[in-house]
Amino acid sequence: MSFQLLLAALIAGSIYALVALGLNLIYGTMRLLNVAHGEFLMIGAYVAYWGINLWKISPLLAAPAAIVLTAALGVLLYYSIFRRAMTSRAFVERIEANSLLVFFGVSVILQNVTALLFTADLRGYRYEEELISFGGASLPVNKIMVLIIAGSVCIASVIFFARSTLGLAIKALIQQREAAAIVGIPIARVNLISFCIGFGMAGLAGVLVSMTEQISPFMGFPFTVTAFVVIILGGLGNVLGSLLGGLLLGVLETFGVAFTGPGYRSIMIYGVFIAVLLLRPQGLFGPGRART
Amino acid sequence: MTLLNVDGVIRRFRGIVALDDVSFSVEEGQIAGIMGANGAGKTTLFSIIAGNLRPNAGRIIFAGRRIDGLRPEKVSRGGIARTFQIVRPFGNMTVLENVTLGVLYGRRRERSMAAAEARAREILEQMGLAHRAQHVASQLTLAGRKRLEIARGLATEPRLLMLDEVLAGLTPAEITGAIDLIRTLHRQGNLTILMIEHVTRALMALCQRIVVLHHGKKLFEGSPEDVVRDPKTVSAYLGATVS
Amino acid sequence: MRLDLGVPLGGVTLATIAAAVLPFVSNDYIVGIGFTLSTWIALTEAWLLISGMAGYVSLGHVAFVGIGAYVAALSWQLLPVWLILLAAGAAAGTLALLVGYPCLRVRGPYFVILTFGLSELLKFIVVNIEAALSVSGRVLFGAPDLHDLFYMMLSLAWASLCVALIIRRSRFGAGLRAIRENEEAAETIGIAAPWFKLTAFALSAIIPGMVGALITMRTSYFDPLDSFSPRTSLLIITMAVIGGSDKPLGPLLGVGFLVLLQELLWANLPQLYMIIVGLLLIAVVVWVPDGIFGGLQRLLARSA
Repeated sequence: MSFQLLLAALIAGSIYALVALGLNLIYGTMRLLNVAHGEFLMIGAYVAYWGINLWKISPLLAAPAAIVLTAALGVLLYYSIFRRAMTSRAFVERIEANSLLVFFGVSVILQNVTALLFTADLRGYRYEEELISFGGASLPVNKIMVLIIAGSVCIASVIFFARSTLGLAIKALIQQREAAAIVGIPIARVNLISFCIGFGMAGLAGVLVSMTEQISPFMGFPFTVTAFVVIILGGLGNVLGSLLGGLLLGVLETFGVAFTGPGYRSIMIYGVFIAVLLLRPQGLFGPGRART
Repeated sequence: MTLLNVDGVIRRFRGIVALDDVSFSVEEGQIAGIMGANGAGKTTLFSIIAGNLRPNAGRIIFAGRRIDGLRPEKVSRGGIARTFQIVRPFGNMTVLENVTLGVLYGRRRERSMAAAEARAREILEQMGLAHRAQHVASQLTLAGRKRLEIARGLATEPRLLMLDEVLAGLTPAEITGAIDLIRTLHRQGNLTILMIEHVTRALMALCQRIVVLHHGKKLFEGSPEDVVRDPKTVSAYLGATVS
Repeated sequence: MRLDLGVPLGGVTLATIAAAVLPFVSNDYIVGIGFTLSTWIALTEAWLLISGMAGYVSLGHVAFVGIGAYVAALSWQLLPVWLILLAAGAAAGTLALLVGYPCLRVRGPYFVILTFGLSELLKFIVVNIEAALSVSGRVLFGAPDLHDLFYMMLSLAWASLCVALIIRRSRFGAGLRAIRENEEAAETIGIAAPWFKLTAFALSAIIPGMVGALITMRTSYFDPLDSFSPRTSLLIITMAVIGGSDKPLGPLLGVGFLVLLQELLWANLPQLYMIIVGLLLIAVVVWVPDGIFGGLQRLLARSA
């Protein structure tokens, strides 16, 4: 039984890590608190849903379309709202609080536009649901695919950030904005790319989630919460931390629910969230604070 | 009498020793200076005295009572005011409101808004800021904001006024004006002043005693004339003894 | 009393007395709108104490509304209505004191997210408690009629406005604003920030607790998912920000505007209403950060 649970934890954790990675990119590079991240996941989910229902395309093929759509939407947001807002001194002074409010507005808009267009009903589709058994556990194929895809993207990201020039540039930007500009990193372009990757990851996560769960216009919100829990666990701006934090949360949630019951899932997630915020707002893996 | 006694203060930041067994004292009514290269630990020292930071070891004794580890508002109520190296005015409030707050919550703990405002206006007069009373603080020039920071500190009726590089970024004319102002405040207000400064002529002109910090250690302590002749200090600043 | 305090207080009181005439001159529908307006005025003005004045923006204020509602539901017909209101306010204030102590040490956007997390946590705790008690929704029989509820809510709105106005011009309020502008500098001049923040937080919770009790009486029904709905927190913050969260009179504009919009749209197109709310929030935060009220003030100052 516990191998089954462990797999379930890994699957959940890999999705959490994927979503958190995207959020971390957006927050880390531009200090924008994207509380609409879950809604971009939701958009990805709907793209996959309509892909299979209207055009009979498998979600795996719909994934690139979802990624492109969510990335484009993110870029559109950037150019229409934030580029203008960042020039205002008052906005930038409290950029985190202000961006939180702006993204809140965005999330409300996205949720309600989707509800208006497609109704608030739960929808789902069947995809690769055959069970495979191994090692005492049995899982449907779609969940294994989720684990493989999400897991690969996460690992690829960690390698990318550690090795590639672009990855290094992004990390530099996350750590020290002004210094990054001084050493010649093209800030605007790197910001844009980070945005694309960040939102694109959310879209991909949405496609993956839609393979195994039902979707609705309001499905995104819990994922935003877990993404924040993960990046707070792992340290804001810390890429490897997001991966580890995501897995940790997957484990905590899955095993916690197994011991207490599904009704306690939310209590546990929010409980962890609050505990970490209170005790170590810089994350479990982040740098320590100088004590007063 | 000795107003401030810094005794064996040590402060570390994750492996870096910012202050290493620093001790000195300031007599009541003195103007004392702290000098040292950037990174010598001067502002850290101020933050520890003012209660913004705790020392890892050592004591701070002010007017006979131990104050290390006290919260900043308690230290302020005990009679210490400080300015910040990077000024921190209450940006969206007017100059008058900034200083009024000092009167309301300083040692006088004035209850009446009207009385506090009246006293604040007096201080603005003294500091040459009266004509800017209704200006929003964030719109002042740097020199103005530095004056405001001093005014706000004065409003709390301190016994010890700690000035952190208040002359940085000022033009030579503004520096002369500031030196005169500090001298006047010292005389009229019965103040003890401890100032961190890089501007040497201000230290020479104002201070009766100077403490030199270097890499967190006290290098030398003495009168201004002695400081410029101390070989260790000269070597630290110039790299070699000047013969 | 100083003129700049007496005039607004007098104006607000007169307006309240005028509004009290409403049940005699119009029908229940209008009185219902009056009830809704009073509800949001009471909530936003209370919210202003911690979020506008102290600068610690709370995105979880529905927690106080919800706990007041729960207290009312639990004590229904066990206590007289006035005592229920007091208990609801006290419960909310106590909650604020308990969670405020650790939470107010967290600054900036972390505090915003934290308050949100706390209100959601409380919601799910109550959901689980009710489930454990095998209760799904509580009905409140024999609630006071609309006119009585309207007067009670109107009084809360008046009280909330007055508290906001008085504190804004008081020594305490000046201290709060100093904390908002620069907390470390405020401490350096003698302001004991932790006490100030905690007091403001507790004060900002009491009236919302009472509001929660009244709302439950109006709907005659308690369901934790409704009473603790984050949409309430979002609307509070939107109304206050749109109107202008710096001065006490600002939120009035936001409340009026959004309630009017709600009346027009909610019945048929609730999604459209929320979309417009979202757009307004974005527009105000990006282009008119001090809200309509602040914008008006600047406009008047420039033309003077």
